[in-house]
Amino acid sequence: MSGIFFVLRSSFADFKRSKMKTFLTSLGILIGVFAVVTLTALGLGLKKYISDQFEALGRNTLFIIPGQVLQGGSFSASSFLGGNFDIKDLTGLSRIRDIKSIAPISTKSGDVKSHKKTEYVTIFFSSADFKDITGLNVSKGRFFNKSDVGKKAKVLVAGKTIAEKLFGTPDQAVGQRVSIDNINFEIIGILKSTGGGGFGGSDYDAYMFGPYTTGYVFDPGKKFIRFAIKYNENANVNVVKEEINKVMLRRYKSDDYSLIEPSQLMSAINSIFAVINIVLVALASISLLVGGIGIMNIMYVTVSDKTKEVGIRRALGARKNDILIQFLIESVILSVIGGVLGLVLAYLGVLAVQSVFPAYVDVGSVILALGVSSGIGILFGVFPAKKASDLTPVEAIRYE
Amino acid sequence: MIKLVNVNKVYKVDEETDFYALKNANLEIKDREFVAIVGPSGSGKSTLMHIIGLLDKPTSGELLIDGKNVSKLNDDAISSLRNEFVGFVFQQFNLIPKLTVLENILLPVMYARRPIKYDPEKKALALIQKFGLSGKESSYPNKISGGQQQRVAILRALIMEPRLILADEPTGNLDSRTGEGIMNLLKNLNQDEKITVAVVTHEAEIAAFAGRKIKVMDGKIVKTK
Ligand SMILES: Nc1ncnc2c1ncn2[C@@H]1O[C@H](COP(=O)(O)OP(=O)(O)OP(=O)(O)O)[C@@H](O)[C@H]1O
Ligand SMILES: [Mg+2]
Repeated sequence: MSGIFFVLRSSFADFKRSKMKTFLTSLGILIGVFAVVTLTALGLGLKKYISDQFEALGRNTLFIIPGQVLQGGSFSASSFLGGNFDIKDLTGLSRIRDIKSIAPISTKSGDVKSHKKTEYVTIFFSSADFKDITGLNVSKGRFFNKSDVGKKAKVLVAGKTIAEKLFGTPDQAVGQRVSIDNINFEIIGILKSTGGGGFGGSDYDAYMFGPYTTGYVFDPGKKFIRFAIKYNENANVNVVKEEINKVMLRRYKSDDYSLIEPSQLMSAINSIFAVINIVLVALASISLLVGGIGIMNIMYVTVSDKTKEVGIRRALGARKNDILIQFLIESVILSVIGGVLGLVLAYLGVLAVQSVFPAYVDVGSVILALGVSSGIGILFGVFPAKKASDLTPVEAIRYE
Repeated sequence: MIKLVNVNKVYKVDEETDFYALKNANLEIKDREFVAIVGPSGSGKSTLMHIIGLLDKPTSGELLIDGKNVSKLNDDAISSLRNEFVGFVFQQFNLIPKLTVLENILLPVMYARRPIKYDPEKKALALIQKFGLSGKESSYPNKISGGQQQRVAILRALIMEPRLILADEPTGNLDSRTGEGIMNLLKNLNQDEKITVAVVTHEAEIAAFAGRKIKVMDGKIVKTK
């Protein structure tokens, strides 16, 4: 029997005898670790989800949107309102040599009626390049092309989910008619599902798409809310941006539009999430702190409960450090029990919400949680343990 | 082997008054002696034993072991001396309830800082056999009789092969027949194993087992014969 095993065994014997006390003592740490791990899992999951969405936009992509969007890494809401751009901008931008494809975008939301049903849908009107820039694919029928745009053809492409809702099975939707504000459209294609989980975001499955010229029927002003641009792979992004700015500044002040690089946006989002995560972890840490104080409290009680035992051990030759370590091990075990249980619960919780929320537990937060909980065991155990080891042997052994 | 020179143990009652639990105590216990420390309740017997056994420190005076002054040793060194040199037996047995008989007996081994030349577990099992505790190895202290518990305590005191055994009222919680058994046991250890034994008691019959009585009265050693 080696020493440390003996100490562990004797600690566990104590825990076994007072299971309820052990559990309640560990509970604070359990909740703290659970909170830290779950909240970081949610934060990290959300961040990963959003960056995945940007990844999906692909490389060599730029956006032009109205207003000022990025000021010191934060969004201003006004930038998402209203459309300002028009066909002149499109023509001007299309002339830039390094721009491979450009999609003007306007939207219309309203009731879309099939012969069976009515659904509230958002329709994106754009150019034929839209398919290329977004990487969308049709599973049935075709995407609208340049000639549809030229003819202002009353055609729409539907996402998988909305096609299902309107027509039952998506496969039967091609060739069917729908009406919006009493204007008739033909469904010419169905998109392959883009997935996107159950969580908001740019899940294309729920939308419909049509030529931007067709969209004019809903907007006499003929405005676009943004441009999505794909530039040549070997072009220098700064040169492309400069060219775009040259075109835009002919008609707008520099405050009236923003030229966005997704990577730039990503770093803004990353910094926002860094702050959110720190706040979440700080909040959750409060419960860890409370848990630690709970352990300290119980350890003080344990020390007076075990005064006699300390005296016996000292009489048998235990040094101060042996006693100190014994109590430290006990408080570390208590908090690690809480930590492990909290971790298991957090893991199960994350598994449970994963189907609706993109949460994931990363190794870092596991190591952190266990490290922190044993750290708390040491930190909050050390004062009671010191008290135990500083008892004089004779006082301890005379204690009843 | 043990020598106390002008030992005082003083407790502060309040700001002005000091209480002398031991006053100017001088005493020598020789190697392989069997002594009884006797005296009325509150006279200072336990205090004396705690000082001899290095559980307590004198307020002043010196404690010599084999002629060496141990009063100045640090806490770790004193702990090691308690571990290797002395074995304690108490009136309340003082076994650790959550540990089994065998684990209790082996507890001092856990605190040994020097390699032990024998296999402690084997030795413990042999002692258990010899002292009639066979079959109780994995029992817990509250599941065995008082006399058995005191024997376990004695085995725990013996496991490190100490040169001195200090017993404070070892029979105080036992009936007279069981108490006599324990005293015989200590006597045999003294005679056969050549271990020095000091027993604190206030009973004359118990003191009669010893070769010499040390009488304590009001903190003073009044007679050693
Ligand atoms: N921590 C302490 N503070 C103050 N007085 C103490 C303390 N410890 C012991 N005493 C006193 O010292 C005196 C001697 O105590 P001790 O325990 O040595 O007596 P004893 O001879 O062993 O008595 P008994 O036979 O009842 O065990 C007692 O009067 C006791 O009250
Ligand atoms: Mg006493």
